[in-house]
Amino acid sequence: MILNLERFQAQARPRWNNLESLLGVLESRPDRRLNLAEAQQLMELYAQTSADLNRVTHGALAPELRQYLERLVARAYAELYYAPPKRSDIWQPRRWFRIFTAFPESFRRQSRYFAIAILVTLLGCALGGLAVRYDPAAVDVLLPADYLRNPGERVHQEEQGQGEHIKTAQNEAAFSAELIRHNIQVALLAAALGVTFGIGTALLLFENGVLLGAVAVNYTRKGFGLFLSAWLLPHGVFEIPSILIAGQAGFYLARLLLHRRENRNVRESMREWLILVAGLAMMLVWAGIMEAFFSQHHAPVLPYGFKVAVAIAELVLLALYLLLIGKRETSPVVPAESR
Amino acid sequence: MTDTQSARASTAADLTIITPEGVLFRLPLAGPASRFYAMLLDIVIVLGIVNGIGLLVYWSFAKVPGYGVMVITLAEFAIGFAYGALLEGFWNGQTIGKRLFNLRVIDQAGLPLRIEQAWVRNLMRILDALPLAYLVGGASALSSPLMQRFGDRVAGTLVVRQTALAAPGEGNWARQKYNSFMEYPSIAVNLRRAATPELASLIQEALRRRNELAPYARRELYRELAKYLQSEVSPFPDELVERLSDEQYLINASGILFSDQRPVRAQG
Repeated sequence: MILNLERFQAQARPRWNNLESLLGVLESRPDRRLNLAEAQQLMELYAQTSADLNRVTHGALAPELRQYLERLVARAYAELYYAPPKRSDIWQPRRWFRIFTAFPESFRRQSRYFAIAILVTLLGCALGGLAVRYDPAAVDVLLPADYLRNPGERVHQEEQGQGEHIKTAQNEAAFSAELIRHNIQVALLAAALGVTFGIGTALLLFENGVLLGAVAVNYTRKGFGLFLSAWLLPHGVFEIPSILIAGQAGFYLARLLLHRRENRNVRESMREWLILVAGLAMMLVWAGIMEAFFSQHHAPVLPYGFKVAVAIAELVLLALYLLLIGKRETSPVVPAESR
Repeated sequence: MTDTQSARASTAADLTIITPEGVLFRLPLAGPASRFYAMLLDIVIVLGIVNGIGLLVYWSFAKVPGYGVMVITLAEFAIGFAYGALLEGFWNGQTIGKRLFNLRVIDQAGLPLRIEQAWVRNLMRILDALPLAYLVGGASALSSPLMQRFGDRVAGTLVVRQTALAAPGEGNWARQKYNSFMEYPSIAVNLRRAATPELASLIQEALRRRNELAPYARRELYRELAKYLQSEVSPFPDELVERLSDEQYLINASGILFSDQRPVRAQG
């Protein structure tokens, strides 16, 4: 049917204007809640305007009018189908503290991706370690920084307290912030690289593993095993797991994107990713503080045994936190008696 | 729940939403260029905020500059992500830059985006910004039918253009009294039967925009339309057409197409 646009517009314009002013009121309202009368009015105007849009789309060639109506319908659609969070919900501190329990819960729910991350890292460690063990020349290729290649020199420097004069609390604070930022960037990248079907995440973890393995074997071979443990573990027990959790988030994201078609609740799944990222960021803040304020102090000041003990205590606490805090995972299998 | 119910399709520059009621509407997608400019503006704003805080911190931590550096480093890092996430999350998908460039981030289903989505798409910037100047994100957006960078793909969001549109104005070209075509009922009926809605609207639109067209363009356009009508759709007798301007021809034709009047046999 051919639509007489002029007459049609003259008839329909009042309801478009009504809808426009109603939407204007709603959009300027902070919580965007409707009362019953408004909801009914909005629903009615939305239905009418949608019908008008349909008529214009199929009965006329009026691009401007069609665009105008599409915009109007889109706005009404958004108001009708979107329930914004209530302000009172957002500003409740209790909800913000939920992250402390939600993180271990998510960690346990997605533990199989954590296992993959460990596996990839261990493979890297094995490669790096074996390479340095059987081909010492590989050290020059695998380890970028000089201090990693020549542990003797570095240990001597550290134990002599060279550079001790710059170890004021202030400099350590600045150093810790730099570490936190860098580590979170790397971890976030590992988690984001899940979009490469997890390949990027795996490469990053693998490279990290190679470096770890090579350094560990290189130092141990030359008899500085205890020094290295005391130097790296106090922050490493948080830093390494948090990189693994970043890998977990990355693999989880990869799996999510591959199965997006089947997954009906993308929003909920993305929350899981966010919680993992937020959790590992918190861990890295602690790791950065430890690295700057604690790990850099060596034997005469802090005995190595004490540093390693602190590291072990940290690791135990972290494990308890990740494994025990929050709700127990409920088994998805329906119990036999209820069938 | 609506994102599973509503179907999505897209053309080069539009997101097409089909609502659960079966209404179809399109939203114009934002191109990479305008998004890039909006982002540059946002970066300038963030740098401004960070430097402002930096000055403040420098001032208040003058005695202990090391702690000042710590505060600045962490604040800079946090603000970089939180600026976009919080503004988009609480300001219905717009940062200051996006608002000035008439852009808005929305959910793929045509709904406002949620706070989690805003966080996800902003945290993913760490990947999209690689290796420099958002090359990864730009390549992703250009290769995506919905112009999504990786952050948008993951969060299920996209950026639309949003300029305020006013309803097209009304014209009064149709208010004429006498239409000579009405005197040829059979041809008029043919015209009504043969004209498609597109053709009818094209004529109406051409007439409505009379004053927006340059004289030369108007003359050419009307001549072509009249010629097409006369040769292809409904040939009115030459002695009638000869005396009419092309514009008058079109006015009469659209009068036939849209009027309620029945063509009447000429009197006498």
